[in-house]
Amino acid sequence: MKISDLLKMGLRNLFRRKARTALTVVGMVIGTISIVVMISIGIGIDSVYEEAVMSNGSLSLINVYPTGGNGGFYISSSDGGQQKQVQLDDDIIEQIRQIENVKFVSPIINKYVTPMSGKYQSWLDLMVVDFSVLKEFGIPMLEDGSYPSKEVKTKILLGSNCLRDFYDYSSRYGKTKTIDLSKDKVTFTFQDYAQNDKKRPYKVTINDNYAYFTNDENTMYSYSGFMDIDYFKEIYTKYANTLKVEDRKKAMKSIETYSQAWVNADNIRDVNKVVEEIQALGLQAYSAMQELGPMIETADMLKNVFAGIGLIAMLVSAINIANTMIMSIYERTKEIGVMKVLGCVVRDIKKLFLFEAGMIGLIGGGIGIAFSYVASWAVNKYGGKLISSIIPGNGWYVDGTGTDFSQIPWWLPILATSFAILVGVIAGYIPARRATKISAIEAMKTEG
Amino acid sequence: MGDNKVIEKQEQNKEPEKVIEVKHVKKVYRMGSERICAVDDVSFDILKGEFCCLLGTSGSGKSTLLNLMAGIEKVTSGQIIIKGKNIHKMNENNLARFRQNFLGFVFQSYNLLNSMTALENVEFPLVFKKVPLRKRKKAAKEMLTKVGLGTRLKHKPKQMSGGQQQRVGIARAFVAKPEIVFADEPTGNLDTKTTMEVMDLIKQIARDNKQTIVMVTHDKRLAGYADKIIHILDGKIQEVEILRDITKPEESGESSEQNLKFFSEEEESVTEDTKIEDAKIDETKMEDAQQLVSATTEDKEEN
Repeated sequence: MKISDLLKMGLRNLFRRKARTALTVVGMVIGTISIVVMISIGIGIDSVYEEAVMSNGSLSLINVYPTGGNGGFYISSSDGGQQKQVQLDDDIIEQIRQIENVKFVSPIINKYVTPMSGKYQSWLDLMVVDFSVLKEFGIPMLEDGSYPSKEVKTKILLGSNCLRDFYDYSSRYGKTKTIDLSKDKVTFTFQDYAQNDKKRPYKVTINDNYAYFTNDENTMYSYSGFMDIDYFKEIYTKYANTLKVEDRKKAMKSIETYSQAWVNADNIRDVNKVVEEIQALGLQAYSAMQELGPMIETADMLKNVFAGIGLIAMLVSAINIANTMIMSIYERTKEIGVMKVLGCVVRDIKKLFLFEAGMIGLIGGGIGIAFSYVASWAVNKYGGKLISSIIPGNGWYVDGTGTDFSQIPWWLPILATSFAILVGVIAGYIPARRATKISAIEAMKTEG
Repeated sequence: MGDNKVIEKQEQNKEPEKVIEVKHVKKVYRMGSERICAVDDVSFDILKGEFCCLLGTSGSGKSTLLNLMAGIEKVTSGQIIIKGKNIHKMNENNLARFRQNFLGFVFQSYNLLNSMTALENVEFPLVFKKVPLRKRKKAAKEMLTKVGLGTRLKHKPKQMSGGQQQRVGIARAFVAKPEIVFADEPTGNLDTKTTMEVMDLIKQIARDNKQTIVMVTHDKRLAGYADKIIHILDGKIQEVEILRDITKPEESGESSEQNLKFFSEEEESVTEDTKIEDAKIDETKMEDAQQLVSATTEDKEEN
């Protein structure tokens, strides 16, 4: 049989029993709607967490600290004092960079400086980072000016709350003054070591090369200043040159190791794995993902439950199709017998029934997709509160209010329709095989 | 017509071709614990262009024999060779292709598809043969016109009389120009007048295209249309009656005994062959013997 004849015959057979075909199609429509809407809600839930991650900027960020000695967020006590000390130096930064799924690594030196403007004084937590990867850490927009380019790295980026208020510590009640960097000259100097009286202290002027971040929700960037590591080393060397000889050596040695490092993972789902690998290097690593991770897992489970509900509906409609096809075979037993006797190849009979079953899947899937958009709209309009109330961490870590929970991406209709066809064909397979097994002689004896 | 006869005679004089060879065919049904031998060690040949009638009362096994010859039912033992091919050795696909190309069928109950028009019903065998749409529509139309239904192409079977339906059935059987057409009581549901019309139609079309007809009937009057009548009773050939001189009388395979004799002669002629083949022939002999034994026992059981 030619394909065109096969299609024509299949369609004719479907139209012969309109009511039955329609009912089976309706079953498929319901199956498709449920699977599309359930998956779309899963995608919506996903997007809530993605959004949380994006707005936070720090979820894919891993803070790495050396063990023992300087600073550290917490000290893992698993092996107590036995732990060897691991310093953050260029070697280990390189090792971290080699870990799979690590996107960027930046060493960080924290320096606390006191900027001065005349007799007024302020404070600044200076974060010395690698400017070439700075943008990757989700820093906020600049209020004015531009991000440092690759060549010019002498910029100091200031958090929106930095260097606004200055105090006069010499006055009795702490007179304050609001400094405008565009008018008032501000300088700072490092104070790590005692000043060598024989040399003039090294001062860095901020006014020439600063830029403010915009006021961002992510407060992590609001109270710190950022400086490129190469530029920092340059000015710190100049500073060290003003020190006494023994202090100069200590100062130069101190900037060979870092107080902290930022590591960015490719994907928020890989964060925990990267954290573990960094910990395996003997370092301390911490990420907000460790809090959010279990929540995302719970949300994943929720998604699976939704998808499962959709699949059950699909399964029911598959059984429905199988039933329809079996009924159809009983009805058409004689026809099948005649076809066989007239020389129809068994494979064509099978194809015919599979086509009919697949066609029910296609029609049901197509109509189901159309209705899915309506259902999706209804879910977004009326179901938002319900869903946001059941997603984990809502109101704390993520904000589900106002989200469109049912989102249908372009690939979902295609996927769902193909799936509907596939379900139809699979459901039609056993009946189709049964049709081929019908004995021609028995079939022709039946009425119909 | 005169020219045709001359050509026929020439062909016959050359060497009449055996289109269907039935060799020791046996069919045993199981009905619960009972075994019923519907066809019991039957052998005969049908020649090209012959109109052969299987005549017998109902339950004589004639329909079963026809179904066996058409490959619709499987033989219990024996061989059916059509155009030199053992059809019971073919797989299902090859058998289907074989049917498309060489066999046509006319049924007692017409077996038309009620959802299709007369034209579509006649087209149906050509659909399986992958004949292009236009070509097969044309062929179907011509065939329907030939059977006198040129004005009823769009009618569905339910809208036609029995005679008309059977004409559609005949058109369907002949549309692919098969060499052999099997007809199972083609007039069983028709009145006398229509019966004659239908029989004339079958005979005429078959003669025009030199097609072989194998017809099953219980009606002695219809058997008069045939060139050769094979009388069947209780699954066995009673008598082979040759009505028309289409073929040399000694070739017509009068009884199974003659066939057996023919076989034994063949065995003797292959004495030069290897021992292995001899052994094979011995095996077939053994089988034959066993069949005979079992056949007799079955007969006893039946009785």
